[in-house]
Amino acid sequence: MASGPGPIRIRRAQVAEVDGRRLGSAGRALVVIVLALVFGLLLDARGLHRSAINDPAGWQRTVWLDFTGPLAGVSGAIGFEKPREWVKEALGRSSDDSIDTTVAVPAPPPRSATPRPVLETHAAVPGDPSVKRRAFTPSDPLRLWVAGDSLVIEPGYALQRAALATPVIKTVGGVDGHIATGLDRPDVFNWFLEIRHELKVLKPNAVVLSFGGNDDKAYMTGVPPGVEISAFDDPVWRREYGRRVGGLIDLINRAGAYVVWLGLPITDDRGQSARFDQINSVIDQQVEERPGGAVYLDTYSLFAGPNGGYAEYLEDLAGNMVDVRAPDGVHLAPAGADIVARQVLKDLNVAYDLTSWRRRTAAAVTK
Amino acid sequence: MLFPTATFTLFFLVVLPLSWLAMADMRRWRLFIIAASYVFYGWWDWHFVFLLAGCTLWTHVLALQIDRAGGGTRRALVALAVTGQLSLLGYFKYYDFFVSSSHNLAHDFGVGLPISTRSIVLPVGISFFTFMAISYVVDTYRGQFKPVTLPRFAAYLSFFPHLVAGPIVRPNELIPQMETRRDPRRVDTSRAFYLIATGLFKKVVIANYLATHICDPVFAVPGSHSSLEILIAVYAYAVQIYADFSGYTDMAIGLALLLGFTFPQNFDSPYTATSLQNFWRRWHMTLSRWLRDYLYIPLGGNRKGRVRTYFNLIVTMLLGGLWHGASWTFVVWGGIHGTGLAFERWRRDRSGGVERSPGRARIWAQRLVTFNVVCLAWIFFRSDSIARAWEMITGLFTRWGAPSPLVSAGVLSWIVVGIGSQYLPARFPLGIMARFSRLPVLGQAVVLGAALMLANAMGPAGVSPFIYYRF
Repeated sequence: MASGPGPIRIRRAQVAEVDGRRLGSAGRALVVIVLALVFGLLLDARGLHRSAINDPAGWQRTVWLDFTGPLAGVSGAIGFEKPREWVKEALGRSSDDSIDTTVAVPAPPPRSATPRPVLETHAAVPGDPSVKRRAFTPSDPLRLWVAGDSLVIEPGYALQRAALATPVIKTVGGVDGHIATGLDRPDVFNWFLEIRHELKVLKPNAVVLSFGGNDDKAYMTGVPPGVEISAFDDPVWRREYGRRVGGLIDLINRAGAYVVWLGLPITDDRGQSARFDQINSVIDQQVEERPGGAVYLDTYSLFAGPNGGYAEYLEDLAGNMVDVRAPDGVHLAPAGADIVARQVLKDLNVAYDLTSWRRRTAAAVTK
Repeated sequence: MLFPTATFTLFFLVVLPLSWLAMADMRRWRLFIIAASYVFYGWWDWHFVFLLAGCTLWTHVLALQIDRAGGGTRRALVALAVTGQLSLLGYFKYYDFFVSSSHNLAHDFGVGLPISTRSIVLPVGISFFTFMAISYVVDTYRGQFKPVTLPRFAAYLSFFPHLVAGPIVRPNELIPQMETRRDPRRVDTSRAFYLIATGLFKKVVIANYLATHICDPVFAVPGSHSSLEILIAVYAYAVQIYADFSGYTDMAIGLALLLGFTFPQNFDSPYTATSLQNFWRRWHMTLSRWLRDYLYIPLGGNRKGRVRTYFNLIVTMLLGGLWHGASWTFVVWGGIHGTGLAFERWRRDRSGGVERSPGRARIWAQRLVTFNVVCLAWIFFRSDSIARAWEMITGLFTRWGAPSPLVSAGVLSWIVVGIGSQYLPARFPLGIMARFSRLPVLGQAVVLGAALMLANAMGPAGVSPFIYYRF
C-alpha cells in the first residue's frame, strides 16, 4: 500500500469547522500545550515544589526540585500563587504545603540488665503470671487505633471487621493510613507529630502500626545535627531509623498504650523483599528492647509460601485457597489482611485480658 | 506510564511533534509510533513488551494464513488463532483463579488436588489488546477485513492512547486512518483539549475524592456503617467508576485526536439510561459491541428462538463479567446484567414488540429503576467477596437511623455533579468547545493552565491507578 504523497507544506490554516467548533493545526495545538504548561506550572508552582519534595530521593527529585524551587519564587513574586491559595483555602486545605521535619520522639529509656515491663499492665513475657493484665469489658472496651503507611490500610479495615465481632474492642479514629509516607521523610508527612496529636485526642489503649514500606532508601530528613545518611541499612541508617522506631514506641507507651507493630511482608520483588527484611530486623530489635511495651508481628514469614518465597494464595483456616495479596505484589488483599487481624487479636489477648468479662457475665446470668 | 503524570506529559511533548513530522512518510511514522508505544508499555515492566510483540506476531501470521486459506482450513485456523489469544489471557488472568476455585471445590468434597497456584503477574492492558487481536482475526475470517502488513498491524495493536485501557478500537476503525497521512491543518484541538481536561478532572478530583471519602471505608467494613452511608457509598461508587473509567477514555480519545486519529465514543451519559439494554448502549460502548459481535451473535444471538436468546444474553454477560476480573463477584455482576437483559427481552417479547411511547413520569421511573439495578450490580463489582457484598445489601436495610458521618456535603455534591452532568443537553459541551475553539492561542493556554492547576490543587497527593488498569 502507498504511504501517501510527499512532504506536507504547512500553509496558513484554513478555517474549517465541526459542530460549530473551529479545527486547528497541529502546530497550534503544540504551542497551546506548551503555553498551558508554562501557565499551569506558574499557577501551581508551590504545589509542584511540594510534590517534588515528596518524591523519592534520586536524580529526578534533584532536577525537579532545582526546577520547581526557582519557579515557585517567580510565581510568588508575580502573584501567580494566589489563585491556588484561594482554592486551598476554600477547600480547608491551607496546611497542605506546610512542612515540619521535627522528629519529636522521647529519648530512649536507660538500658537495664534485666528488661522490665514498660507498661505495668502488660505481661513482659506472654503468659507471665507475675504481672496482672488489665481487663477490658464491654462497658470499658479496649480502644484500638491503627496508623501507618499504605500497608496498614487493609489490615486496619480487617481489624475494624474483627472488632465488630467482639464488644470488648472499639476501634477509634478510623484507619489513619497515608500512602507514600513513612518514618524517614517527616517532610512528606510528619508521623511523629501526627501520632503525638492523635494519642491526645483518641486516648487509645493499643496502637497498631505499620511503617517501612517506603523507607528503603538512603535518604532521611529531620536527622539530628552531625548525622549524615549515606547508604540504606548501613550502621548510621540503622541507628537513626531505630531511634525513630524506638522513639515512637516510647511515645505511645508513655501515653499508656501498647504497640502492635506489623512487620513488612515478603513481596514479589526479591530486592524489595530483602530490603524489607533489613527494615524488619531494625523494628524487631527495637521491639525486643521494650518488652511489655510492644510486640512485633512477623508478616514476612506469615505470607511466605511453603517454599519460603512469595505466595499470592495461601490456605485459610477452613483449608480453602484464598488470594491474600493485592495485584501489585506488595500490599495485602482483604483475605490476607484478615489473617493479620486474627494474629493482632491474639497478641492483644496476650497483653490484655479480653475474655474474663465473658466468665463474669456468664456467672452473673447463672446466679 | 499513567496519563496524568509528569512522566507521561514529557513523553507526549516529545511524541506529538515527532509523530506529525514523521507523518511525511507513513512507513516511517508507523515504525516511530510502534517504538513510542512500546516505550510507553515497557515503562511499566519491560518484560511484557515481548508478550505484546508475541501476541502481535501470532495474530499477524495467522490472519495472513486465514486470508489465504479456504473452507475448513480457514475455520481451523481462526479457531487456532483465537485459542492462542485466549490461552494467553487465560494463563495470565485466570490460571490462579481456576486453580484456587478447583482446589476449594475439591476441598469441600474432602479431596486434595495436586495443583498449586503460580502467583502470576497480570500484564497491564492484556484484556484490551487480546480482544482487539481477536477482532482482527475474526474480521479477517469473516471477510470483513483484509489483513495488512506487520508494521501496520503492530501500529494498530500497540497504539499507545488505547493500549492499556481501551477504548477497544476495531481494525476497520483505526487501520484505514493509519494508512493515509492525517491533515495537520485540521485537528479537532478544542474537542481534544476539552476531553483531556474533563477526563483529568473526573479522574483526579471526583473519582479519587469519592474513593477515599466514602467508597473505600464503607465497602471494606460495611458492618460498621449505617444504612444511609451504605446507600450513599453505592451511589458514590457508581459515580467513582464512571468518573475513573470515562475519565481515562476521554483522555485517550483526546490524545489520539491531537495525534490526528479518531477513536469511537466509549460513554454516552450511561446513568440516563431507561433500561439495561439502553445502559449497555451507553456504558463502555466499545466493549458491549465487541461482546455483541464476537460472542452474542456467534452464540446465535436472537436467531434461534426466544429461550436461546435469553440464554445467549445471560452467557454473554457472564463471560463479560469474567472478562473484568478473575473473581466470582464479577461473574455475579455479569449475571445480574444478563438476567436483567433477558428479563427486559422477555417483557418485550410478551408485548409482541409493541412499545407505547412512554410519558415523562414513566421515563423518569425507568431511569430510576435502571440506575438502581445497575447500582445493585456495582455492589458485587466493587466488593472483594460475595459475602461482603451480601453484608452491604443487608446493611442497606438494617441500620437506618445510625450516625452517618461519612455522608458529607462534599460527597453528596460530587455525586450530584457526577450524575447531574449526564443530564446536561449535548449542546452544552458543544457550546463550550465551540467558544474555546474561537479563543486566541494565549486564551486557550490560560484556560487549560488554570484547569491543570485546579485539578492538581483539588485532587489528593499522588495518582491512584485507574480501576480499569486491573482488567
